[in-house]
Amino acid sequence: MKPLMIAIAAASLVFGSAMAQDHSHHHNHKNHTTLGAAQVSQEDSIYHLEGEWQTHKGDTIQLAELQGQPVLVSMIYGSCTTACPVLVNDARRVYQALPEAYRKHVKLLMVSFDQDRDTPAALAEYANKYGLGENVWLFLHGQDDNIRALATLLGVRYRKRADGDFDHSNLVTVLDTKGRIVQRTEGLNRPVDEAVAALMKVIDDNHLMHH
Amino acid sequence: MTKWLSVLGFIAVAANAEPVLVSGGEYTPAILLDESVQTLVMADFKLDATPVTYAQYLEYVKANPKWQRANAAAIFHDGNYLISWPGNTEIPEGYAKRAVTEVSWFAARAYCSAKGGRLPTLDEWEYASSQYLQQQQLSDQDYAQMLFGRHSNPTAYSQQPLDVNSKALAHMHNRVNEWVEDFQLMLTSGDNNDILSSSCGDSARFMADFGDASYATFFRYQSRSNYRAQSTTSTLGFRCAYDME
Repeated sequence: MKPLMIAIAAASLVFGSAMAQDHSHHHNHKNHTTLGAAQVSQEDSIYHLEGEWQTHKGDTIQLAELQGQPVLVSMIYGSCTTACPVLVNDARRVYQALPEAYRKHVKLLMVSFDQDRDTPAALAEYANKYGLGENVWLFLHGQDDNIRALATLLGVRYRKRADGDFDHSNLVTVLDTKGRIVQRTEGLNRPVDEAVAALMKVIDDNHLMHH
Repeated sequence: MTKWLSVLGFIAVAANAEPVLVSGGEYTPAILLDESVQTLVMADFKLDATPVTYAQYLEYVKANPKWQRANAAAIFHDGNYLISWPGNTEIPEGYAKRAVTEVSWFAARAYCSAKGGRLPTLDEWEYASSQYLQQQQLSDQDYAQMLFGRHSNPTAYSQQPLDVNSKALAHMHNRVNEWVEDFQLMLTSGDNNDILSSSCGDSARFMADFGDASYATFFRYQSRSNYRAQSTTSTLGFRCAYDME
């Protein structure tokens, strides 16, 4: 009986935290609503998702091409002035908290919700603003149906508003070398330790530093 | 001669019934997901007359082996995808004209995409449903009874065959629940409340009115909020929508 009770308590804890929503902006949001993240499957690779994306450098890629390195991924839109710059900065904070030798093995992936406004050129401008050098950031522009599918796999909930902006979950996710979700940080300006540890573990487990 | 006959036979099987035009217009949803938006202006679109059947889905997986049960990537379903099929390209006996179920949101989307369509949005589906109710001249009470009747005994309803060649919308409420593209957005702006996670008293205030029909519709919204994109339940099917050319 006792182990069962513990299992139930643990399950409800996990479920509870997965469903928890960020209320930090409850009283001061003006137009922007934060959507809680959805539960995700961590068993299998999100790189099964087919479909083409355009990078901020103008290249066409499929997500599966990101295999072989850990990826820190978030979803944003360029004209967002509230949560998105914080999310991009959160990704940068994770990167900067990594020991120097680990950094070059990590890709920071920012995928736009905004099929219409976030052209590769607009994203290139955005990427430049956040520095870190040539090959760290990867901003992606995609088609609505691919954006919806990727967001669903990541557990990012979003919707386009009548004014063209987006309500969305604030989520930074660590993917392993195969594209499986290994760690998620929900909210804005959160501590980076868990994401940093998850990235280092992927790099260590796959012996990426010795290649 | 035999050769020609078999070609003709193939065409007869492969031809899908024409989707139905849903004429756009103003629409007040029964459930308000955004308290600042009461009335939606819907554009014209097309919608399959009926849910996709087992026979149609079988034809699709034969042509698209990666969506056969043994091949579908684990990330796209919960482990019960097409679980009651005897084989990868074999449907349960007597199921050909039933609405296909045990398909995840990812599978349903892939099917519609292959047909040149997409899943309807939640607003599109509900708008079509409201038009369908008017066409059927169903009273609010009859609609509510039908919906609750199906939910309390889904098997009895699901066994009745579908006419995929129907010229008008059919079986929107008496066979299966149906996937919509944005099912996961059960949220009202400014409150951070899912319909599911808030109490019943809370959610009822997002209903436009409190008649029998709205309660029945609300029930459908609540069912949606229980789904995950990987869900493959036996009471959930889909039909496809198409943009106007």
